[in-house]
Amino acid sequence: MLLDRNAVTFLEVIESHKGIIYKIANSYCKNEENRKDLIQEIIYQLWLSFDKYDEKYKLTTWMYRIALNVSISFYRKEYRRDEINQPVPDEILYLHNENYSGESQSEVEQLYRFIKELKEIDKAVIFLYLEGNSQQEMSMILGLSVTNIATKVSRIKQQLKQKFTNLKT
Amino acid sequence: MEDNEILEIWKSYDKKLEDSLVLNRKNTEEITRLKVQSFLASMKPIKIFTILVGIIWVGFVDILIINLFNVANPIFLISAGIQVLLTKLAIGIYLYQLILLHQPDISEPIIATQEKLARLKSSTLWVARLLFLQLPVWTTFYWNVSMLENGNIWLYTFQIIVTASFTFLAIWLFYNIKTENRNKKWFRLIFNGKEWNPVIKSMELLSQVNEYRNG
Repeated sequence: MLLDRNAVTFLEVIESHKGIIYKIANSYCKNEENRKDLIQEIIYQLWLSFDKYDEKYKLTTWMYRIALNVSISFYRKEYRRDEINQPVPDEILYLHNENYSGESQSEVEQLYRFIKELKEIDKAVIFLYLEGNSQQEMSMILGLSVTNIATKVSRIKQQLKQKFTNLKT
Repeated sequence: MEDNEILEIWKSYDKKLEDSLVLNRKNTEEITRLKVQSFLASMKPIKIFTILVGIIWVGFVDILIINLFNVANPIFLISAGIQVLLTKLAIGIYLYQLILLHQPDISEPIIATQEKLARLKSSTLWVARLLFLQLPVWTTFYWNVSMLENGNIWLYTFQIIVTASFTFLAIWLFYNIKTENRNKKWFRLIFNGKEWNPVIKSMELLSQVNEYRNG
């Protein structure tokens, strides 16, 4: 089915996949202000590319590519929109209940902390793996061979496991 | 820790996130009304401004050389000629960057897009290399025949030491300003400052891309 390229459909797409945007921004930004900026930037760039979305790819492939490309390049401040000329709203995505408790929550925080410590492209690779993408899908998103991806995922997982082990000892 | 445990931690958070994450539709809608500006468009004005200033400078020096060709001393003409040639090359790099600005498409695969973006940004380093290469001519352009004929040994010695040092420094910097040296102290000292951070970061990204490309 062909997708309508209007603002209403775009909002539906963002609503259905808001978790992807939030988790990517959370993996690439160390502080909340930057995270808000990055979320805005990702949604803005998704909107600009919405017209050009090629339906031969899955919608999530298109979203992952743009969100990760924007996040990896986020350090280039000059690439960003002139915020004075084009002010954007403050809060777009937020958690209505951020007070999770218990061991699992602290493990999630540790995992995010360890992911944030990884190099930019390693972050993208492990993020796509954790999101449950197949190696074929990861290959489409990253533009790497399946073999290369398998090797990298295994190496990064080892790094993460080592960090968890060090934490416990 | 097993592989599955990391996946389980991620999935457990995923579920909670789904229940608690809220999209502010009104604010998102506002984004769709913003003036269209592509990912790299904001880089254009500064590049165009730099090219225009460069062209004015090159034009001025070229006119000077042409008009003074028969009367000026040859050392000035050679110095100005080298300076203007290197500036023309630097302008050429900025023009090349302007063309590259249209190439990256952020909906393309990540490794290829990041490589294009990082190459674009780190090519700014070529401009720095060319500008450093101009150093010696700033120590020679004021020489004239009378200085050469009537100077004393101290003047000659001083000039030779200064020009030789600047030439050595310029050539050394030209060869050594490269990605592999980005973490050296002298490199960080020269390229210290906020405006250079994106260039340094681009070099790091380029090395990550190369690592991935080489398996």
